[in-house]
Amino acid sequence: MSRLLIVLLSAMLSITAAHADHHIPNLGEKANEFKDDGKKAHKREGMSHAASLIMQRKMHPELLSHKRDKTLRQGVRGGYTQLQKCVDCHTSVDKNGEHIPVNAPDQFCSTCHEKVGVSLDCFSCHRTTPAEDM
Amino acid sequence: MKELNRREFIKNTTVATASVATVASGISLTTFAADPKESDPVTNEKRWGMLIDANKLSEVDIDDMVNACQEEQGWGGEVHSTGDQKSGWIKKVKVRDTATQRVSNLALMCQHCEEPPCVDVCPTNASMKREDGIVLVDKHRCIGCRYCMMACPYDARSFVHEDLTDQKEHMPRGKGTVESCTMCVHKVDKGEQPACAQAVSSDAVIFGDLLDPTSNIHQTLKNVQSTQIRADLNLNTGVRYSGI
Ligand code: HEC
Ligand code: HEC
Ligand code: HEC
Repeated sequence: MSRLLIVLLSAMLSITAAHADHHIPNLGEKANEFKDDGKKAHKREGMSHAASLIMQRKMHPELLSHKRDKTLRQGVRGGYTQLQKCVDCHTSVDKNGEHIPVNAPDQFCSTCHEKVGVSLDCFSCHRTTPAEDM
Repeated sequence: MKELNRREFIKNTTVATASVATVASGISLTTFAADPKESDPVTNEKRWGMLIDANKLSEVDIDDMVNACQEEQGWGGEVHSTGDQKSGWIKKVKVRDTATQRVSNLALMCQHCEEPPCVDVCPTNASMKREDGIVLVDKHRCIGCRYCMMACPYDARSFVHEDLTDQKEHMPRGKGTVESCTMCVHKVDKGEQPACAQAVSSDAVIFGDLLDPTSNIHQTLKNVQSTQIRADLNLNTGVRYSGI
């Protein structure tokens, strides 16, 4: 019985591990620079960087919806979770130096989502590339 | 009595928000070193308003206001929408006094009512008034029913009829939702003036806090004759007019 449990557990673990190195989304131009500079993106206080990244992976929908209500309904601005900031960091640039929309196929905000079958409507309104003057 | 209820309400909402924050446990919002802090929620200690002086406002000024608004918010470039379908966050209107036949030109936009009919009729709470008096559409909740457009006595709201791209980074807009003047809330929250007020060099348009006794708008309203459009509706608008 306990052997079975271990087999089961290790099977589950290897699935998560496989999943973890499997998904290496196309981080985007600024995000790559950020990482190359040795900076720890999404690092939260009192949490390791690895744990912070898992948190970001798992919780970004909640963080974003929490923040959008706060911004619109209470006027709370600035801070960490802003959709335009995600876009600023996580967009890539094509051969001609043009920004590729962050939600285009194979871009940062779509690789994982395609895999899990989520489709976002956010970008029917929100700009998909960094601001013009950036 | 009313005041007390309101405070009670605010108190309760604060408690509710605090508990939401604890549910998302262990998350502290301070992360990157260079990360700016979040601002505090806006309060009803301020009420933003605007005073438009029709005597000083030329037709050119009004065109400048409309252009500045389009430029700032990114509306007006819709290609597939025709006639009434086109967005108009701020409009030039002519009003004629039926008795005197005097014609004045006005810039008309969302009047940011204290008692907004659009908020009353909205089935999803998308139409909303911030604590500081700015009336907005929370497009995240908007289902595009357009009741608010019918309820608005000023015809101040528009509906987006087509897919859009390349929006302004600070003003997401999209098909199937209602939009209107936001009093440039994204600028006001940074301590700046709305784009239309900035576009007029004279003091024909004054923007400011109606409740602040030291503000230009408060003092001017105290001294000059001003009016609300459709004052008979008792909506207590945030946008006031003089010289009409
Ligand atoms: C129908 C249009 C529309 C759609 C669709 C939409 N938004 Fe927004 N969003 C807005 C508007 C308008 C604002 C207010 C901008 C302001 O006042 O600065 C906003 C603001 C926000 C903000 C706060 C400002 C910022 O940049 O962080 C967040 C977060 C946000 N939206 C997240 C989302 C997410 C996540 C989705 C998809 C699930 C989404 N929005 C879909 C229109 C939209
Ligand atoms: C300052 C630039 C920057 C901003 C702003 C930013 N990110 Fe990131 N993000 C990064 C970097 C860099 C990484 C990779 C971190 C690493 O691997 O060390 C990352 C990783 C992620 C990951 C994990 C990807 C994986 O491989 O599992 C998610 C999910 C993510 N970001 C979502 C977001 C969202 C959502 C926002 C907006 C709220 C956002 N990011 C804003 C730079 C940024
Ligand atoms: C590491 C993979 C990954 C990346 C990268 C990623 N997401 Fe997600 N996202 C997910 C997963 C998985 C879900 C589904 C979560 C669920 O259903 O609980 C999701 C769901 C969402 C949702 C909620 C959708 C809904 O309809 O409920 C939003 C909003 C969202 N992501 C925004 C973004 C944005 C914006 C970016 C780019 C900055 C991004 N995500 C990048 C994995 C990712």
